[in-house]
Amino acid sequence: MITPFREAAARIYNPHAAEWFAGGGQIAGYTCSFMPPEIFHAAGILPYRLRGIETETMEIGDAYYGPYVCTFPKCLLQLAGQGKYGFLSGAVISTGCDAMRRLDECWRMAGKDYPDALPEFFHYFDVPHKTEPHALAWFKDEIRRLITAVSNHYGVLITDENLKSAISCYNRGRELLLEMESLRAAEDVVISGTDAFTVAVAGTVMPRQRFNEHLEALVHELRAAAPEPANGRKRILVTGSINDDTDLVGLIEDAGAVVVADNICFGIRSAADMVRTDGDPVDALAGGYLSNSVCPRMFGAYDQRFANLREKAARTGAEGVILQNIRFCDMHGSENSLIEKDFEAMGIPCLKLEREYGPLTETGRMKMRIEAFLEQLS
Amino acid sequence: MRPEIYQYNYDWMLWRAIQAAGKLADGSEKETRKMMSYIPYFRKTAEVFINMGKPGISYLKRIEQYLDNIVTAHEKGKKIVMTTFCFSPSIFYAMDIVPVTLEVMTVLGSALWKRGTTDYMDYCVELGFTETSCSSQRGCLGAYLAGLGEEIDLIVTNTAGVCDTNANAFAFAQKYLDKPFYSLNYPSGLTDNPANQYHRDDFRELIRFLESHTGTTLDPDRLRAVLDETARQEAIVAEIEELQRLVPNPLPVTYNFVIYGGRFFFAGMPEYTELLTDMAEVVRDNAQNGRSGITSGIEKKRAFFFYIDHYTLNLSLWDWLDRHGISHIGSILSRSFKDDQPYMKGMEDAAYSIDTTDLDTMIDSIAMINSRMPMVRSIRGPYDRPNMWKEESLALARIYKADCLIYNGTPGCRNTWSNVKLLAGDLEKAGYPTHIMYGDAFDERVESWESTAARLEEFFTIRGLL
Ligand code: SF4
Ligand code: SF4
Repeated sequence: MITPFREAAARIYNPHAAEWFAGGGQIAGYTCSFMPPEIFHAAGILPYRLRGIETETMEIGDAYYGPYVCTFPKCLLQLAGQGKYGFLSGAVISTGCDAMRRLDECWRMAGKDYPDALPEFFHYFDVPHKTEPHALAWFKDEIRRLITAVSNHYGVLITDENLKSAISCYNRGRELLLEMESLRAAEDVVISGTDAFTVAVAGTVMPRQRFNEHLEALVHELRAAAPEPANGRKRILVTGSINDDTDLVGLIEDAGAVVVADNICFGIRSAADMVRTDGDPVDALAGGYLSNSVCPRMFGAYDQRFANLREKAARTGAEGVILQNIRFCDMHGSENSLIEKDFEAMGIPCLKLEREYGPLTETGRMKMRIEAFLEQLS
Repeated sequence: MRPEIYQYNYDWMLWRAIQAAGKLADGSEKETRKMMSYIPYFRKTAEVFINMGKPGISYLKRIEQYLDNIVTAHEKGKKIVMTTFCFSPSIFYAMDIVPVTLEVMTVLGSALWKRGTTDYMDYCVELGFTETSCSSQRGCLGAYLAGLGEEIDLIVTNTAGVCDTNANAFAFAQKYLDKPFYSLNYPSGLTDNPANQYHRDDFRELIRFLESHTGTTLDPDRLRAVLDETARQEAIVAEIEELQRLVPNPLPVTYNFVIYGGRFFFAGMPEYTELLTDMAEVVRDNAQNGRSGITSGIEKKRAFFFYIDHYTLNLSLWDWLDRHGISHIGSILSRSFKDDQPYMKGMEDAAYSIDTTDLDTMIDSIAMINSRMPMVRSIRGPYDRPNMWKEESLALARIYKADCLIYNGTPGCRNTWSNVKLLAGDLEKAGYPTHIMYGDAFDERVESWESTAARLEEFFTIRGLL
């Protein structure tokens, strides 16, 4: 039951996307979890969360970006320049952080130098950094602007009904993810953290309907299966910078832990935020995506985020927290220190890990530090 | 942090040092020269200002006033706001709130002390604020996080969506110091109606925040006075900048630095007007006599800095430029983007205007000023005017007859490091030799000034500029 998710999460051009593409379907990439993929779904386009796995060299990323920049957007640019995203007919860049925002210019420029690197539909989607009513009004405008741009470019009509049905479909996926989450709280291991994370990543790159069907079957199976005894493995919560690499969670579990919860962009971070299905769908999407301040890009909302983490840790009985950040990711990097201070004050030990994004080149160093941390928990 | 650093408050130390420096020139020339031997560490920085004559001394006295405001704020029953350089302080002055502007306070420490503010920068890192974050905030921030400054009452910033690294420093301070926090947020558009409406709504919300946390009500008459003063100041700046088009440039090399520093310290206050008036006199006189502002009187080349300057070790950058006969014709920080500035012709929609008809128009004006401050305006990459940084750099380079363009920043600046290579390529294509400095404007440990100077030397030589 886990196989379809593993297939989806293992490769950039995964079989689900390939099948969609082969059937004549359009695929549009996007960079930030604040952009509602429901819009593309409603237009009959597959929304695809841009990933950086499979990056082997960085000459293109380094040619456009300067040296002091997080490797995640650089990897996206590298892959785009190499033509790995040739299956996309569209891409949406958002103002996640400075480096991600600037991907807009870097990719446009790379599009001039590398033929076909730039998808035909290339849109910048602005996201406010706060949730006050005037910010919400701006966000609604942005959503409407995106709907108009998609409609015009692809020649499709995105009706309220289409949007509402997309919202329902995505909400169903959220419910299922939450069900899977609740199973992770059990004392014995119903699903490994690596598999749970794989499912979440897969959800960002495969058709939602299909994702829901597979996840429904998986949850059903997990409920019936006999849990695997935890055998003293330490229960860990992982949080911090963006990550779509399932090997990172695998590395922690291989060191003798079980990842019982994650709070990572690409992981299961905001599944609890259902989007309303009544009223105006644009209002519903704006409220659903902007209100929860899940990422440190929402400045000044640390307390809200920490409350969320504390609840996760309590619900899943996490015994330790791993706070990872990609080098030059200052938002997560410094927030990790605040989280560390607060968790440690509650008696929950933390490990802060700075890393580079990309093929886990630093596996040895990270493994050693994780093992030492787990020992400390014993 | 080393125990001895805890001996004195950062703001207090700066205040005392600048106060003493301001008095240096009160004596005879001989006395002043004699005094210099007693201050070997501050000597060069003090000389930079004293050699500027009246405007330099007046600048020191203004900074002293700024610092005095901070260290005596609570005694006088005023609130202190921690804020950022690209936020016009006018609104605080209009509401009698005392600003502590992190970046300019870091510049002061970097310029004054041999070790700069590195102890405080490292203290931020000890607390968990990332070492890769921008040093411009970390220098002064570390002192305040360590409790080595007057207590901060509230935190206000405006860099969300423009420079997240900057905004993140204030968010970290908010949590660490547990203070009320307001962050203005800028959309990526600048000139369209929704963006302008948003700027206004956001600024009104900020005023409500300030009123509720300080117990002060915004007084329209006071705001009008501040805005009128701002308009006067920008008119003088416009005149000075016009004269900067002359060859040779009549501005001494440090003047642009003083123009923007003064604006960040004192926009809207009469002190800044006086300073500009003194500067304009010198510039006019030089211009009338066809004199270069360079000490030797010989202008060899003209350099435009398309980001910021380099502030470490006795303000060595300006000394280096002056000794090499290179006019500093401004940076992205020295421009004000007011609608009647000559270089804003053709892009009035991206400029700001001042309208003091009533409270509403005044708040709109001040919101506009803030959204057009350096960096939050040009470097945000407004997508309704893509390439604004490039277009403006080229326009300014042309207007002020630059021979070359130079980027300097900090490694913490994700925003510019994410596209300076693209920009430098375009500037070269436009015919301008362009140099990227890889040091840190505030932290010499990243690259020593000697190396930075050697690279500048190399650039000017290899490109046939000198
Ligand atoms: S980490 Fe935050 S800003 Fe970055 S992509 Fe995820 S949600 Fe967006
Ligand atoms: S990991 Fe951090 S620095 Fe990197 S793209 Fe995401 S938010 Fe930006």
